[in-house]
Amino acid sequence: MSKDELLNAIRDSIVNLDFDKSKEYTLKALKAGATPQEIILKSIAEGMEIVGKKFEASEYFLSELIVAGEIGKEITKILEPYLKGEEIKKIGKVVIGTVRGDLHDIGKNIVAMMLEAAEFKVIDLGADVPPEKFVEAVKREKPDIVGMSALLTVTMVEMKNVIDALKEAGLRDKVKVIIGGAAVTEDYAKSIGADGYGANAVEGVRICKQWITGK
Amino acid sequence: MLQKWCQTMRFSRLTYTPKDLVFGFSKNPLKYGTGLEVGNGVVVPEVKYFPRVEKDVREEYKSITEQLLKKAVALGIENLQLETELTYLEMEDPRLVVEQVNLQKDLIERYAKEYGLHVGYRVTVADIRDFGKPKHDEEGFNRMMEVFELVSSNGADVLSIESEGGKELFNYSIIRQDLLGIVSSLGYLATFDMKRLWKNIVSIARNKSVLAGGDSACAFANTAMKIAGGLKDNMIPHSLASIVRVMSACRSLIAFEEGATGPGKDCAYENIYLKAITGYPISMEGKTSAVAHSSLVGNIVAAACDLWSNEQVENIKLFGGYGPEVFLEILHYDTKLMNVAIEDKTHFCLRDLMIKSDKFLNPQAFVLSPDIVCSISEVIVGEKDELSRTVASAIKAIELMMAEEKLLLSRGEKRFIEMAKTRLEEIYSSPNEKVERALEQYEGKVEKLKVKDYLEV
Repeated sequence: MSKDELLNAIRDSIVNLDFDKSKEYTLKALKAGATPQEIILKSIAEGMEIVGKKFEASEYFLSELIVAGEIGKEITKILEPYLKGEEIKKIGKVVIGTVRGDLHDIGKNIVAMMLEAAEFKVIDLGADVPPEKFVEAVKREKPDIVGMSALLTVTMVEMKNVIDALKEAGLRDKVKVIIGGAAVTEDYAKSIGADGYGANAVEGVRICKQWITGK
Repeated sequence: MLQKWCQTMRFSRLTYTPKDLVFGFSKNPLKYGTGLEVGNGVVVPEVKYFPRVEKDVREEYKSITEQLLKKAVALGIENLQLETELTYLEMEDPRLVVEQVNLQKDLIERYAKEYGLHVGYRVTVADIRDFGKPKHDEEGFNRMMEVFELVSSNGADVLSIESEGGKELFNYSIIRQDLLGIVSSLGYLATFDMKRLWKNIVSIARNKSVLAGGDSACAFANTAMKIAGGLKDNMIPHSLASIVRVMSACRSLIAFEEGATGPGKDCAYENIYLKAITGYPISMEGKTSAVAHSSLVGNIVAAACDLWSNEQVENIKLFGGYGPEVFLEILHYDTKLMNVAIEDKTHFCLRDLMIKSDKFLNPQAFVLSPDIVCSISEVIVGEKDELSRTVASAIKAIELMMAEEKLLLSRGEKRFIEMAKTRLEEIYSSPNEKVERALEQYEGKVEKLKVKDYLEV
């Protein structure tokens, strides 16, 4: 197979959610002289775009979008030794967590994975995260966005505590804050001073991308 | 450590045929509480409630219980079950739980004496364990057992839980459609945890002369149901959520194999499998769960219920009264209709209408139909161990879906079930070897997953 054929084969293996094939073709493409940047742009990015379109056309499920994103991440790991000091660019950084008292993290995990697939760097603080941990992470990581999730009405009040703690630490105006989860609403987001509310993972990621790229 | 004297038993045949699996009738009816009979020809409303967060929790439970009992008297309800689901926060202080349970039980007994009500009282203990801690959080486990003991001594008639063993791997796997991960979670890790938990819960229940009710796979099958969402959501395949329900039946059955007697907990939609196999009565929730989440199975789940329940409804004021009393009224009219059908001997007709209204519109409803349940349950009881039955039951569910022309499946769903069948058949060829090898890999990738703790604790 020629270099171009191999780049297409990597792309197609992402679309077909076939990790083993994608790995095999990536190694072959590198041997055939493909650069990491070519593989990122022509194989991973194009493959992800096709999968995204299939998801929008209801042909693929969200879970398949996530798997494709993970295959892309695995290919990137293979490329790392070949990058010669160049960094793979990320469009922005997000600190994300499920608030204190709430152990329901599956929704937050979906959002984190979709953000990574959308080329964000994600710092996942996990579940049951107290306000001071959000503040520490914002100081340390200097993210563009803070994302919070809560499933329960009992725990959603913690979101306001996080925003208040960010204000107290003088960090509130340095980040955008987005919230989501079964318990919260757009009105609640407004009432506690969050910048955005994602009714679902797709919308949450769309808002984050819009904040960063302006599109 | 609590005494481990309960004997594990295996069910080797079904208790029902699809023809006689119907609401209100259980082969092993139960009598408890203030004379409540369940599964003996009458369907009973079981109401579940949630206290307002800003109020004192004991005052809230007192007020909710009183309003429910008053409403029962006002509506002429003779048979009733209350369910208190303890929250993580309540679990922090077992002394408060004791006060709260005593308060509720005193009220129940007072109304039972004054008005002749037959009331059962279920307490569901929250699974507060942090599986990332050493030995799967021994302190959390011990507190759960302490609360089970305390509620049993202070008025609970039925003990239940929604346990979460295996959940860390399940969460990782479900959003990736990773069938080997799901099988490893439900058919392997959860199996070890369920056996340990239910040996202890059954021991407490027997010592305190209360009922060991059952364990809902809420953290698994209901999570899958919630993620699958509605017909247009396209998050995960509905057929995946439906096979997770079937695999969850294999997991929830373990409580009964360890000695639970029901009535099974309401949010375990897989309960119909347990009734088909064990003959013990079950509680179910369906359209009445819309207060907390949407589903595509609102009518069909009532087909074989013995208690008919709702999802947690917050104690907020509505035009017709507070949330819980409004829901009790809804449950009352639903059960009244089922009970009149039983009296008139038209209950099979009503059951068939419930089934017909949902069965073919979605795979999640399809696998809850009594005929499908019995076919798959035959496979469950025929397999040699927990892991094999978990895989084999999912394969059978897929075969039945594929064979049913009337079942509505999108192109994506059809693509998924074909892939899933191949994958599950591969796993079934050597399940232990595949799962054990996979778990070594998952351990490095899945947060908090400690396989050794499942095997050794």
